[in-house]
Amino acid sequence: MKTAAIARPQRKRPVITAARMPPLVRTYLDRIVVLVVVIALWQVCSEYFGTIWFSSPWLVLTRFGEELRDGQILSNTIYTLKAAFYGSLIGGIPGTLLPFLLRRRPVAGAILDPYLAAGYGVPKLALAPLFILWFGIDLEPKVALVASIVFFLVFFSTMSGVNAVNAQYVSVMRVCGAKERDIARHVVWPGAIPYAFAGFRIAAPYAIGAAVVGELISSNRGLGFMINSGATDFDTTLVFVALVTLTVLVVAINLLVARVERWLLRWRPPQQGFGSRVMGA
Amino acid sequence: MTATAPILEVKGLTKRFAPRAGEAQAPVILADLSFHVADQEFLTMVGPSGAGKSTLLNIIAQVDGASEGEIYFRGELIETTDTAALNPGWNCQIGYVTQDDNLLPWRTLIDNVTLPLKLQGRYDSAAAARVEALLRATNLTGFERYYPHELSGGMRKRASLIRTLAYDPPIILMDEPFGAVDAQTRAQLQQDLLRLWNHGRKTIIFVTHDIGEAIALGDRVLVLSRSPAKVIAQHRVDIARPRDLGNLYKLDGFGDMFEAVRQQIQ
Amino acid sequence: MSIAVARPLPRLRAKRQLIPVGRLALGIAVLALWQFGTGVLGEEWLPGPAEVLVRIWNITVSGQLLRDTAVTFWEAAVGMVLGGAAGAGLPFLLRLSPRLMSALDPFISAAFGMPKLALAPLFILWFGIGVPAKIVFVASIVFFLMFYNGLAGIMSVDPKLMAMLRVAGASGWFVSREVVWNTAKPFLFSGLKIALPRALSGAVVGEFIAADSGLGWYIQNARSLNDTTGVVAGAIIVTVLVIGVNAALKCVQTRSLAWRPMARDMSL
Repeated sequence: MKTAAIARPQRKRPVITAARMPPLVRTYLDRIVVLVVVIALWQVCSEYFGTIWFSSPWLVLTRFGEELRDGQILSNTIYTLKAAFYGSLIGGIPGTLLPFLLRRRPVAGAILDPYLAAGYGVPKLALAPLFILWFGIDLEPKVALVASIVFFLVFFSTMSGVNAVNAQYVSVMRVCGAKERDIARHVVWPGAIPYAFAGFRIAAPYAIGAAVVGELISSNRGLGFMINSGATDFDTTLVFVALVTLTVLVVAINLLVARVERWLLRWRPPQQGFGSRVMGA
Repeated sequence: MTATAPILEVKGLTKRFAPRAGEAQAPVILADLSFHVADQEFLTMVGPSGAGKSTLLNIIAQVDGASEGEIYFRGELIETTDTAALNPGWNCQIGYVTQDDNLLPWRTLIDNVTLPLKLQGRYDSAAAARVEALLRATNLTGFERYYPHELSGGMRKRASLIRTLAYDPPIILMDEPFGAVDAQTRAQLQQDLLRLWNHGRKTIIFVTHDIGEAIALGDRVLVLSRSPAKVIAQHRVDIARPRDLGNLYKLDGFGDMFEAVRQQIQ
Repeated sequence: MSIAVARPLPRLRAKRQLIPVGRLALGIAVLALWQFGTGVLGEEWLPGPAEVLVRIWNITVSGQLLRDTAVTFWEAAVGMVLGGAAGAGLPFLLRLSPRLMSALDPFISAAFGMPKLALAPLFILWFGIGVPAKIVFVASIVFFLMFYNGLAGIMSVDPKLMAMLRVAGASGWFVSREVVWNTAKPFLFSGLKIALPRALSGAVVGEFIAADSGLGWYIQNARSLNDTTGVVAGAIIVTVLVIGVNAALKCVQTRSLAWRPMARDMSL
């Protein structure tokens, strides 16, 4: 009968020293090993299949440096970021405020509910050409696309926060002399903010993704444009450079949003769990 | 002994909940319940769990409405049967300390305690001084800037208590406030409550299922029956104040009263 | 026992009849607004509802709708199978080596964050503008989705349950099957439910970028010809399709996972 708790895959290298290291150091070393392995695999693929299909680590690195010096990386990133940011504001602010309005008007909320649920279910990205048709090929259609996506995400997150308001807090505050406006300001709003924020946190990668998709379909600037023009010219190196930039951008935004959330919600007991990972488009 | 008018009078209070599907009769929680409370009296109410004690307090505090009956506060009729006209807390005259501490988690201790005063527009220097005295009396000084999740259960209970004491309503309802803490903390909290009450005598209606607690704290103990609840007995607690809660159980008469109440609750 | 009392606002009870009426009224208002918008902006910008319906009818009758829908569906379905199998299976394998999982952790998070839709041009570069590129594209979207869900399921496994079974004499294999699989199952199902509409919408987006058939191609083609009616018609068809699939899946889920509390899933 096997007594080992988990079956371990056979190791290919001796691990005499690894077992004695403090776990944190070992994890970091493991990660470096993974990175090296991935890059090595990449190099192998690029040599076997040809750089036209895979580019190569070195080519991408040097090209990245070039584009960075030219300012291309920065200007395209900013373009994409602008679309994502403005769209998030235009979509996110009404998405946050509407649940509070609907809270005092439950009939209006009930009437709107099926339409909002339908709007949530509509595949906004699939409607991108429509946006482009209506708003042109510059920043506007991307902003509209991002706004439409962010609005629903933030709305439903905030709505569930408003619905989750602790009825006991409301009653206690009423007994202590709070009026409806005080309740909204001191109980409902702070209680719903974590949910609203979770909505923004989830929406952030989608916002960037939507901006990029808009650019892929029709644009002459932005990271999506870089990817597209690289692909059309068979300039795989440029495509990879843009993809790497995009990944770094999303990771950076996620970290920033997480940091802001931690500060904003410092009154919360520490949370565990999987929820800190965010899924992008 | 002069008979002054009671600060609170409950007459014939009845509460029926809406019948659920399949039930012939609506469940009656309170049936023709009547009692009165004298000014500055510490009244305790004991009854089995589920007897409707919380419902009773909710109705007095105007958080919920009654099906029948009247409540008079300082001789004035508080409307209780029309749910649309409820006035929770009756203009901050009736305080309510709940079973859960219900501190707002996003506010620090001091912000929680001073919130009712600020909402009522009464947070001046005198109020601030009173708050500080209350913090000192409950050993909470130094913890003002802490968030509720950083405080222990007993500390949160004390904070919830002084939140209501801070704005000084003439009558305070307490719904098993010490039920959720461990025995040691509970003993400490009982001591703190009596000490605070001694400083400025208010009227307190304290509901509990713990007979010993009811006798130890109260001037008068009302015994409630099972649902549908009504007052089945009352006992005058003649133990002199200030009371030594640790040794109360040894006193003559305590054991008899305890046994009598226990029999009545069956 | 608590201080909270459920009290419906008395006015609400009276107005309850108003709600379905209000919804209908809102729907009619939207249609009326649409028609009004057509009048104001002109057929060029906003074709009227009637004209769009006529177009939808035409392409249905001519068989084009069926052809394009079939292509898109095929891309979505095959992509789902490929991506879903890989994405769902991998977490179970990874679970066997916690050291590998923690080593891969930051890379996984980074990969999750990257918009998979940005990979479309790369796939088209590799596979051409035909159907295979879109299948790979959909597969990549579904892979990450199922992997994310599968991973969440695996990580939510209660180690106490597993320890308890080991103490009772169960083998590692049995524990995996009983506890890990059953804990992960709802996550995987929920992932599948989200994956199908996403796969469809991913196929459509892939076709926007480069294709020679499919619903997305139809829409993009119409746009390049300035055929606004075509674009709107196509958009409506895609919307109806995705919402329909969503609704059908919701029905299936309600029946099969009745023991789990439901929450609104994310869709794009």
